[in-house]
Amino acid sequence: MTLIDVRHVYKIYNEGDESEVRALSNVSLRIDYGEFVAIVGASGSGKSTLMNILGCLDIPTYGDYLLEGQDVAEMSDAELSKIRNKDIGFIFQGFNLIPALNAVENVELPLVYQGALPGRRREAAIEALERVGLEERLKHKPTQMSGGQQQRVAIARAIATKPPIIMADEPTGNLDSKTGAHVVEILHGLHKEGTTIILITHDNDLAKTADRIIRISDGRIIYDSAIDGEHEESAPQHNAQEAPAAETEVGA
Amino acid sequence: MKLGQAFKMAFKSILGNKARTVLTMLGIIIGVAAVITLVSLVQGYQDSLTSWVEMQGTNRINVYAHTYDGNDITDELYDFCLNLGELVVGVTPNTTYWGVMQYKTTRMDSSTIYFGSEHFSVCNNYQLASGRDLAYLDIEDYHKVCVIGAYVAEALFGYTDPIGKTITVNGTDLTVVGVYAAKEETPQQWGYDDMIAIPYTVSRFIADYSYTDGFTIKAKDRTSTTEAITRINAFLSMAINPQNGYYNVNTPDTQMESDNELTNMLSLVLGGIAGIALLVGGIGIMNIMLVTVTERTREIGIRKAIGAKRSAIVTQFLIESGIISMVGGMLGVLFGFILTVVLGKLIFDLILMPQLLISVGSVLFSLVIGIGFGIYPAVKASGLQPVEALRAV
Repeated sequence: MTLIDVRHVYKIYNEGDESEVRALSNVSLRIDYGEFVAIVGASGSGKSTLMNILGCLDIPTYGDYLLEGQDVAEMSDAELSKIRNKDIGFIFQGFNLIPALNAVENVELPLVYQGALPGRRREAAIEALERVGLEERLKHKPTQMSGGQQQRVAIARAIATKPPIIMADEPTGNLDSKTGAHVVEILHGLHKEGTTIILITHDNDLAKTADRIIRISDGRIIYDSAIDGEHEESAPQHNAQEAPAAETEVGA
Repeated sequence: MKLGQAFKMAFKSILGNKARTVLTMLGIIIGVAAVITLVSLVQGYQDSLTSWVEMQGTNRINVYAHTYDGNDITDELYDFCLNLGELVVGVTPNTTYWGVMQYKTTRMDSSTIYFGSEHFSVCNNYQLASGRDLAYLDIEDYHKVCVIGAYVAEALFGYTDPIGKTITVNGTDLTVVGVYAAKEETPQQWGYDDMIAIPYTVSRFIADYSYTDGFTIKAKDRTSTTEAITRINAFLSMAINPQNGYYNVNTPDTQMESDNELTNMLSLVLGGIAGIALLVGGIGIMNIMLVTVTERTREIGIRKAIGAKRSAIVTQFLIESGIISMVGGMLGVLFGFILTVVLGKLIFDLILMPQLLISVGSVLFSLVIGIGFGIYPAVKASGLQPVEALRAV
């Protein structure tokens, strides 16, 4: 069953201007419930822009995005907020924790916006933190934790509301390989429980652990393992694209 | 999102930046303290004027006339005033003198001596406590009698009954025939009981002059006051050539009214200036909230990404600016109280207290200012696309 249906989506910055940037260009994509998809691309390829649109954090310039059959463009701010709150859990490369709040308060935050009662949300937050192995660090502020711990707090926050979709943008980007592996392990665990995982990465090895790989370059999808088959060779242009892509910097 | 949680977050953010919060509050604190202090001081001054007038009694007219050319019109003026008939209740000369009073071995050095007529007490709002008042015959027959004020009675006689006793005033023996009741003194108005009243016709025994140039008239009511003033003015303008003398007719009532007008105006002007200070404080809040929004753009992005609605962000920032301004307002009231008490003591020598209404009003007004000036930054913060907000460093 189709969860995400993206049709001919464009994201263009400064359109018509000399500095026009096409971050996404005619991207179409379908993702079903329960998939583990890795979106792979170089820095500036448009993969983060794609994730922001998929996560309802940004709106496409042109094209349609249907989430669970509903057109996102027609949703109100309140409806979008509800989707971001209940349906999607975000994990960012930069963790994006609120520095003034401690671990458990950060994890509670989505539940706060849901209007959950203090007792229940504390319970859910602690459960999520146990899941990522941080039950010892409940009262620590982000600055008192290592990068790996912070990212695990961010994961706990993403899963605290038990959303059906997890979107992770370079979740291991700021971590060493060992902690990175632990984070990936957690994601696979969630996938086994039926959560749809969309993983954005530039790391091919990490991408290979996913069920499906989508390669993106210069704002276009150049390879989709679900369509093009398992063989990377069917997209030989990928490696050639990687180097010059950095010139078109689009807020990765 | 629950309001309680929003308050918690607002407090966290306010306490997270104490120095800035205090500086922001300072604008509101100064504004509110200024409003309260200025308005209270003017109010206190006005109250003390009013109580002065009330102490003297209403419908009172003071007439003063003086000539240089030896053509004394005092007697004619007195007759004219007495002949106002229906309009007036009483007329008395209002000459005063100071003297040394003695009863046996007790001395008083600086009491006020009034040279009055039988209408002295009516005109000056004194009530008789015991004995009798000055009478027409006392005046007519030069009786050496006096009616003494409550303070003098207590100081000279203690618990003995003063009636019928003889006191020596500036070397002349006078028989005490009556005692006036104590007036209700206030911190602003006092000394009214440290006096004696004697027939004006015996003034020459007490004072080294016996000259009367002023009268106090008690009119029947308000309209009579106006009418009497008009008539006396007309009489004096005929009787006195401006080149050879001058005169003045006034009533504390109209004086109070014009003073009230003045103080009301003063109140408005000073309150307005203080209000501007408050407004500037509000702009300070808006400024700092804008800075806060800019600084916390990323945090706003995070909050939106995990499901905060626009309204939740707006509420959070409004509560923050509301708390800053309201706490500032309350501190302002506190400082306003202190300033009012200190300045009231220094300037008017009174214990002044700001009115409850203006205190509560100032706090509410600063809350309105905080929320009013917080709206723009809050809406600005909430309107950001999550992805744009997240991109901020």
